[in-house]
Amino acid sequence: MKKIIEKALSRGAARAEVFYLNSLQTEVSYEAGRLKELANTEETGVALRLVKDGKLGFATTTKLTDLDRVVDDALATASCGDYMEFDFAVAGDLPDSRFFDSAIAELSIDEMMKHSEAGITRLLDYEKNIQAESGTSRNMQTIQVLNSDGVDAEFERTQYQFYLQGRLVEGTNMLNAGAYSGGTALDVDFDRLYENAVAEFKRARTNVDLATGKTTVILTPRAVADIMLTLNLAVSGAYVEQGISPLVGKLGKRIFDERITIRDDGLRPGGYRSAPFDDEGVPMQTTTLVESGVLKSYLTDLRTARKLNHADTGNGLKAKRLIGSKELGKAPAPEITNWVMEGGEKSHEELMSEIGSGVLVDSIMGLLMSNLIAGEFGGNLAYGLKIEDGKTTGRVKNAMISGNIYELFKTNIVALSRDVELAGLLGGIGTHWYPYVVLRNVTIATKS
Amino acid sequence: MKPRIEQVMKKFADRCDYLEVHFEETEESRIGFSGPRLSDLGRRLDFGGNVRALHRGGWGFASFNSVDRLEEFAQYAVDQARTVGKEASRLAEVDPVVADVPVELKSDPRDVSLEKKVEILRAYNERALSFGDGITSTIVTYFDRFHKLWFGNSEGSLVYQERVDIGGRVTPVATRDGDTQVYNVGFGGSDDFNVVKGLEAEIDEACEVALGKLEAPKIKGGEYTVILDPRLAGVFVHEAFGHLSEGDNVYEDENLQKVMKLGRRFGGSFLNVYDTGLDRGLRGHLIYDDEGVVTEKTYLIRDGELVGRLHSRETAGKMGEKPTGNARCLDYRFPPIPRMRNTCIAQGEATFNEMIAGIDYGVYCISASGGQTNGEMFTFTAANARMIRDGKLAEQVRDVTLTGNVFTTLEKIDLIANDLAAHDGGGGCGKAGQFPLPVTHGSPHVRIRNVVIGGE
Repeated sequence: MKKIIEKALSRGAARAEVFYLNSLQTEVSYEAGRLKELANTEETGVALRLVKDGKLGFATTTKLTDLDRVVDDALATASCGDYMEFDFAVAGDLPDSRFFDSAIAELSIDEMMKHSEAGITRLLDYEKNIQAESGTSRNMQTIQVLNSDGVDAEFERTQYQFYLQGRLVEGTNMLNAGAYSGGTALDVDFDRLYENAVAEFKRARTNVDLATGKTTVILTPRAVADIMLTLNLAVSGAYVEQGISPLVGKLGKRIFDERITIRDDGLRPGGYRSAPFDDEGVPMQTTTLVESGVLKSYLTDLRTARKLNHADTGNGLKAKRLIGSKELGKAPAPEITNWVMEGGEKSHEELMSEIGSGVLVDSIMGLLMSNLIAGEFGGNLAYGLKIEDGKTTGRVKNAMISGNIYELFKTNIVALSRDVELAGLLGGIGTHWYPYVVLRNVTIATKS
Repeated sequence: MKPRIEQVMKKFADRCDYLEVHFEETEESRIGFSGPRLSDLGRRLDFGGNVRALHRGGWGFASFNSVDRLEEFAQYAVDQARTVGKEASRLAEVDPVVADVPVELKSDPRDVSLEKKVEILRAYNERALSFGDGITSTIVTYFDRFHKLWFGNSEGSLVYQERVDIGGRVTPVATRDGDTQVYNVGFGGSDDFNVVKGLEAEIDEACEVALGKLEAPKIKGGEYTVILDPRLAGVFVHEAFGHLSEGDNVYEDENLQKVMKLGRRFGGSFLNVYDTGLDRGLRGHLIYDDEGVVTEKTYLIRDGELVGRLHSRETAGKMGEKPTGNARCLDYRFPPIPRMRNTCIAQGEATFNEMIAGIDYGVYCISASGGQTNGEMFTFTAANARMIRDGKLAEQVRDVTLTGNVFTTLEKIDLIANDLAAHDGGGGCGKAGQFPLPVTHGSPHVRIRNVVIGGE
């Protein structure tokens, strides 16, 4: 990769930075209860940023047999690019955290098949008419960042993902339920995941009516992850700089209930997006975003840290916004890593019995179309259960939930659960840890 | 690339029931503004391929950038298919195709310099930013992609295709007291760089709408009679029916097959829905799909009854139906699966005036921020909306997200207008991790009774 930097400099670039990614992913997938496909995805590519005449250029390639081309392309973009407003990273100490788990690297196809097959068997043992799908994958990545200012860093990372998903069609009633897990370390209790998937089905077999109105809601960790898409965007240094985040000027101010503490933890053991350094070569870290309801930090990359006069939190990532997979073609920008919210005093079961009546919300469909940057979220309850006398009584359908996080998480919080659980981000990629959150007076509109 | 495909066929085809190879080279230019800043300017060259093998009903798939290791990946795909396969392979039969299909362009984006493209987008950006008080920022995106695609299979097909995809959005952002509202102007096409030109009036209107949304009250949640404009109705038919029609949803699920039986009534006799790859210039245009199957216009609903669905060769084969040329992949990293092309509600006979005259209290829903379905329920969001009172358009409202059931909502369409329009935005469709695939949708204005809208 040094060759590319040398080529860029010899062609007149003042400075250059190369990001290199190599990954090999293997996935087994099951459809309709049967093994369907074995897939292998090999990806190798480089992204080049360079500065020429003070202007920033950017290009990527997966055709490593033609490295002149990526230099040409980057120079062409620099000629009509903006003036560079930051410096590339400088060499320094990097965290010695490792996110390579040999249990993932050595995971055999037979073992992957066993994990998925066992899950499918459990779903079918419960109900033979479920259309069961499952996938287990392992991914091995090598990521390298080099620049002309002396950064020369590399790490290897392992990632796994597992999903078990079932669909039960009875007449025109369709019920989707399942379980997901993922991360950089294979410390997963598969049996518990299977059990959760079956339990999701069991609890939603009967449909029950709900009247339109305001109700107490208990958000599962997965629903919290969905709703946090609002804050995921709002803390981005890019949106703060652009002036469209509602958190502009709110550092040091109270934005949420004092029981809310949230961290972006790029070094979390097992976290799907954990890494020793970000895609600009800046050390990753644990950043407290909200502490006891007070906004403490934004998330930044090299450029926004400079612009906002803010510490660089090491969040310059090439992840696809909101979806999270590595996208070589995208320049680094402030992106979340793994989020962790602190829990409360009681278990979620205790909280549920204390609620008496309300709605358990687990999955919201259509959330991405909300005005997320303004903190607003809304969508159809893809999986929601009615709670009566402290117990779930059946599934609520045709119901739309809506609200604004800056109102609900400030004034409507009843409690957070003690249990803090792994929740997959919308789309299934990325791992976050959230408690159950009980909110009062949440609007749910239903079919009358 | 063709000799390399033939070489793989020669060596591995007799070791499995079916074998195919894709190669793809994509050149992309990308421009983005965030407020006044040129936040994204990049070029991408993506070169890779895949080998997909089918044996006794099981698939092995290997995608790669290291093209020099082609044989190793082919070996892998074939071995894995043999590991997986335990039943019978059933692909719908099609005639092998040997063809070279260069793209026919009205205006080639590669002939326009990056400087010129930046200049066009910068002018739009500055227009929106200087619109006036309240428009505080912008989000502007543009891309053009030129794809060269090679496909060959063990049945003798050998196809070279070129495809072009152009798209983007200009989004004025209005902010006031911590509130943010947007409205976007999307554009796109598959054969003409000029789709990016002449958006000035639409951008001015988008600024007005975004500013209006700052003042507009949120809609009150509940059930309404709604009129969808052609853009939103297109998203509606994509989410509410298109996905349900994709063969891979149905082909393994006997219970769903009972519900999705051809001939089932889904709507009034005036309702017709189709998906077509034939419309040149639209982003959903195709000549051959990614299994080398010639594209077509496929009716899904005719006179209110289910008459067809969208197939890959496998889903068609297993259901004993005809392949429709809907097997598409995002790129060489993914296997082709049934996807939409240009999905439309067909022309009706009503007029907008007839539609609105019959509504005492309802909502006119305009343009789309997007939509989603989970198989049973769907939601889609209007980018702009106005209340209808006593048969007339009334005040602007915001946060209009509509929801419904895929099996029952089409029945509630009671009027379809005579103003069919297809629209390309700068986004795309997502399914099974393959996002954003270029698709188009279209519709005339439609009126729907008793639709649930979220809100307080």
